[in-house]
Amino acid sequence: MDFKDYYKTLGIERTAPEEEVRKAYRKLARKYHPDVSKEPDAQARMRDINEANDVLRDKEKRAAYDALADRVAQGYGAGEGGRGNYQPPPGWDKGFEFHRGPSQGPADHAEFSEFFSSVFGKGEHRGAQNRQYRARGEDHHAAIEISIEDAIKGVEREIVLRSLEVDAQGQPAFVNRTLSVKIPAGVHPGQFIRLAGQGMPGHGGEPAGDLFLEVRMAPHKLYRVDGRDLYMTLPVTPTEAALGAQVHVPTPAGHVVEVTVPPNARSGLKLRLKERGFPGKTPGHLYLLLDIALPPADSEAARQAYVQLAQAAPFDPRRHLTTSGV
Amino acid sequence: MSSSTATSTHATTVGSAHPLAAHELAHACGAEIGWVIQLVEVGIVVVPERTTSPEDWQFHSADLQRALEARRLERDFGVGLEAAALILDLQHEIRRLKAALHAQGLLRP
Repeated sequence: MDFKDYYKTLGIERTAPEEEVRKAYRKLARKYHPDVSKEPDAQARMRDINEANDVLRDKEKRAAYDALADRVAQGYGAGEGGRGNYQPPPGWDKGFEFHRGPSQGPADHAEFSEFFSSVFGKGEHRGAQNRQYRARGEDHHAAIEISIEDAIKGVEREIVLRSLEVDAQGQPAFVNRTLSVKIPAGVHPGQFIRLAGQGMPGHGGEPAGDLFLEVRMAPHKLYRVDGRDLYMTLPVTPTEAALGAQVHVPTPAGHVVEVTVPPNARSGLKLRLKERGFPGKTPGHLYLLLDIALPPADSEAARQAYVQLAQAAPFDPRRHLTTSGV
Repeated sequence: MSSSTATSTHATTVGSAHPLAAHELAHACGAEIGWVIQLVEVGIVVVPERTTSPEDWQFHSADLQRALEARRLERDFGVGLEAAALILDLQHEIRRLKAALHAQGLLRP
């Protein structure tokens, strides 16, 4: 894990005043917001920008970060690897992306890196514990990416929350907290799973906050997600499309169903498998988009078959084209 | 390095079976309940017309997502909630259209 230069991320000097941080963030957020950006790495850049902004816009965090940067510059690392080289165990964050919770007021919903969570996660934790008042602990937010199959069937996953604590000798040390999370069957993208009491600890004897995990779907080689519906491209031969056919289709629930392709089916025809999408009170559907795949004319016999087809069923797919403009 | 293992036994899906109350939505966003009332007033989250008291309100995952997005727009861009509502509607429409294009195989994720 490398030390992150948040000033470089936002393209500002270390001496930049608060207003400049805000302006730089807003400018970059407009450029890299994944909803509008054409940049190929927009999502990753937006995550970095959000993370840098979250630290540099907060006076307390910025001061802590600057102090850490000074230590690294002097050759002292804050991590166990020393000299600024943070070496977490491999795979600790598999399937899990850290988010910062809404501490100290406004909520935060962006993704944050391992570096951020290591350095700032426990700082917030300790700060919360030191406050002299009674209040329920803050809620934490994270995202968890699962496969479509796991979302439908349910799955048990372990997530690791990692933080930096100061040990009895005053040395920083990593502490892992592993949670076993049973993802209920039938979750769909954008849903939140709530883990009661797994957020920040409470103050003055009040209960801890909750951890909210936002469910995201991993890209799938067959299925594409649209809300609760799933889409799949179904290749068929010209013969199947022309004459109709019964074909076998795998569903994300692990079944194989027989589907009727109607005669004279065109490419792009949409067939619906009712309630074979994400389950729930209003179940989604599985849509099949027909794609007519041509057999390759890579043998004399195949070429002859195409010639015979052209002779037996004369057909001009361009007959409607005209240059007259009407 | 030290570590501890804890098995969570209280995992629920935020939805109709386990909705969030108004004060829980506020807490999840690091806000007060008055802020949630404002969200309802500007239409960022919607409650049934018959439920006039915030104690009766129930919120699902989509509401939590919109509330968190609104909080971030407020904090990082200094926008008012009316403007946030419009931005969120536009954002929702962009995401819906992109998801539809992607589902049809016309757009890469």
